Amino acid sequence: MKDFTITPTRRSFLKGGAMAVGAGALSASPLSKAWAAFPERNISILIPTGEGGGADRDARMFATVWRKYLNNANFEYSYYPGAAGQVGYEFYAAKSEPDCYNLLFGNLGPEIIMQAMQKPKATLGKDFIYFCQTTDETMCIFVGKNSKITSIQQLVDEAKKRVVTVATSRLPHPASIGVLALGEATGAKFQLVPFGGGNPSAMAAITGEVDCCTLPITNAIQLDKEVLILTLFSKQNVFGEMADNAPPVNDVFGTKIPELSSSRGFAIHVKAMETYPDRFQIIEESVKKAALDPEYADLVEKAGMPRSFVRYGGREETVAFAQDMLALAEKYGSLLAPKKK
Amino acid sequence: MELGADTVLQLFLHSLSLWWIIVPAIFIGIIMGAIPGFAAHNTIIILLPLTLAVPVEVALTFMVALYCATHLGGGIPAILMNIPGTGGAAATTLDGHEMAKQGKAQQALVLAFAASTFGGLITSIVTLFALPLLSKVGYYVHSVEMVVIMLFGLTLIAVIAAEDTVKGLIAGFFGLMLGAMGADHVYAAPRGTFGLLELFDGVPLIPALIGLFAISEAFVMIEQESIVSSKGQERARRASWADTLSGLRIAATNWWHIVWTSLIGLVVGVLPGAGASIGAFVAYQQSRFFSKTPEAYGKGYAKGVIAPEAANNGVTSGTLVPLLAIGIPGGSTAAVMMIVLQFHGVPFGPRLFVESPILAFGVIMSMVVAYIFMILTILPMARYLAKVTVVPTRLLAPMIVAFTLVGAFVPRSFLFDLGVAVAFGIIGYIARKTGYHVAAILIGVILGPLVEQSYIRALRISLGDPLVLFSSTLGNVLWVMLALSLAMPYILKWLRRRKAAQAAS
Repeated sequence: MKDFTITPTRRSFLKGGAMAVGAGALSASPLSKAWAAFPERNISILIPTGEGGGADRDARMFATVWRKYLNNANFEYSYYPGAAGQVGYEFYAAKSEPDCYNLLFGNLGPEIIMQAMQKPKATLGKDFIYFCQTTDETMCIFVGKNSKITSIQQLVDEAKKRVVTVATSRLPHPASIGVLALGEATGAKFQLVPFGGGNPSAMAAITGEVDCCTLPITNAIQLDKEVLILTLFSKQNVFGEMADNAPPVNDVFGTKIPELSSSRGFAIHVKAMETYPDRFQIIEESVKKAALDPEYADLVEKAGMPRSFVRYGGREETVAFAQDMLALAEKYGSLLAPKKK
Repeated sequence: MELGADTVLQLFLHSLSLWWIIVPAIFIGIIMGAIPGFAAHNTIIILLPLTLAVPVEVALTFMVALYCATHLGGGIPAILMNIPGTGGAAATTLDGHEMAKQGKAQQALVLAFAASTFGGLITSIVTLFALPLLSKVGYYVHSVEMVVIMLFGLTLIAVIAAEDTVKGLIAGFFGLMLGAMGADHVYAAPRGTFGLLELFDGVPLIPALIGLFAISEAFVMIEQESIVSSKGQERARRASWADTLSGLRIAATNWWHIVWTSLIGLVVGVLPGAGASIGAFVAYQQSRFFSKTPEAYGKGYAKGVIAPEAANNGVTSGTLVPLLAIGIPGGSTAAVMMIVLQFHGVPFGPRLFVESPILAFGVIMSMVVAYIFMILTILPMARYLAKVTVVPTRLLAPMIVAFTLVGAFVPRSFLFDLGVAVAFGIIGYIARKTGYHVAAILIGVILGPLVEQSYIRALRISLGDPLVLFSSTLGNVLWVMLALSLAMPYILKWLRRRKAAQAAS
């Protein structure tokens, strides 16, 4: 079995990112043009979360448009949930063939934080690299429709009087970091309660088991009138009424909480990029075309999500996003990890 | 949309017109449910391209019919070969296989089919008319109450331990320890995994189930010529339509038992995170608790087959409630159904009832129709399926091992899982040979992590105060019921002894 002993650090990650960019530049050269037939067989997409989750939905939705730019390829999906995504990444790096026929579609935000927190053997930048993002959504805080709390100011005031419970899908998640940062900036006391997924977390807020919930905004938008969105961890609310005209958190408190979002996108083995630059070039270019195709945005809208959910990001942008996430994980890591005795 | 008699009739006739998709879905579901490793959600995922290519109402009807049928199918190998096809059928083995060993496989199958279909039918009709009310269950049952509900299932370990307390408890705790392996529920940090990636998500349930039940059963099987005793063999060979009718008669006399145990399944199904395994174990435990002959359970008792089978099909109706009423899927199968709805651009949750009421109510009605078709298609098959028990074990055992090892591989495609199945097979074999009950180990593996998850959530919500477990009225009522269900057999025994002593004196 391949040895993956290097632990993820920002340095190793940046080094890997530079290698990835270099490999891409090489692949763009006219030297490699013997790739017309790619792909000759199905492309496998590994999803490090369970069937029926957001990543599964988005990967399938994207693939329906992508295939027309990829030689009408077919896609096979496999699911490896567990340990906040670690199982999927480890499996992808160690056991799937690095031949450009095996890709990973992940939740960049929480899974990069997982990388920083759990330091898996599969190392971002060394073993695999995210080469694009297809969607991006900001984090938000919302309450159930029956909650007495109707504004973020009210929630924070309450959290200054008593500990307010907040459902989250998992602790290593940008949404959890947002709540912790809000507590740190305002002196409010929040207790994060991980429910192991977006659906049970939202349910906990709707049924009143917890005071509120923090998740990516599409979860809340899709729940429509069942929830009330209180605030967004973004510069502005581009969703308007769909997001209950909730104000951005920094506008309310004058804080400097960084923008918190989670992207979904594709990752590939670094070795595959280096060994098959021609194949990788086809993948990269076709992903871009599909992501920018209005048909994809139409599909997203049809599924009840805002069009602005679609946000293509190339390799550089995705690498930058990953760096920001690593920095956030480093800053708030101690709050997300168990206290050492 | 008003749900008047004419609307109900219209919905029924419309669902009936989709028979051409319901019937194949039932057959696929029964076959997949009967093969350990396949479940509704992974079958639907495999067939997802089909569901995306047809109109949304056809897709939903297909998925719903398949989902219901898988739970029915899971009971078939549980009864015939002591191998539950799904986690929800694990409790069926306790009495179902005992009946098969006595040569009453056909009767047991009929009981299971009748309980599954009527239980499913009743709960889907209840769901159709009481959806808003059922959706409120989630507002009252939180982590604290979930802990107690799952403890009801765990008390089955104590029931099993009643015959041999030390061995029963050892088996149960061994299962609980195995269930505690994997990433912790708060920080997702792996624990007790020996660094094995394949154990990060805990002990894989299906390979464990296959090992404990199927492989160990195959090992035991090859030591004898047939699954059933020689007396039982004779009875099994003579089985006729009369046995089917006899099974139906027993089911009919236990109609009330089917109703209330299926309703337990319905309520459990409504709760997010709960599933068919919990529903079936809790229903079995409650069935035994309220029985006048609790000692008959585990020895091939009809009610011991009816309760888990009615409940696991009740769960199927329940899991659709949060998806339809709120927009949150109640389980993995409902989550996959949600994807199909999204692909078709159909809203879910309350908006579905506003924008497409025919589709919303139609989903539930298609469940009703699917159960009616199931009764007609599956009952006649019991006679022929029961013949499996007279197949010589030299043929049956290798086939079981081959089929179930494939099933162990299917859910995660890890070769490691084949090893897990074999390891659990050896553990199961040793357990059987030394008088430990494999069901007690499995209950620990299935329910242990679920209890822990809810317990930890409750503790985090209460900031670490363990008294949170006694902080809700409903929770306290459940605690009292749990205490009573544990103490009652001893109290009754004591009362009987006292009465006998008084009579003697």
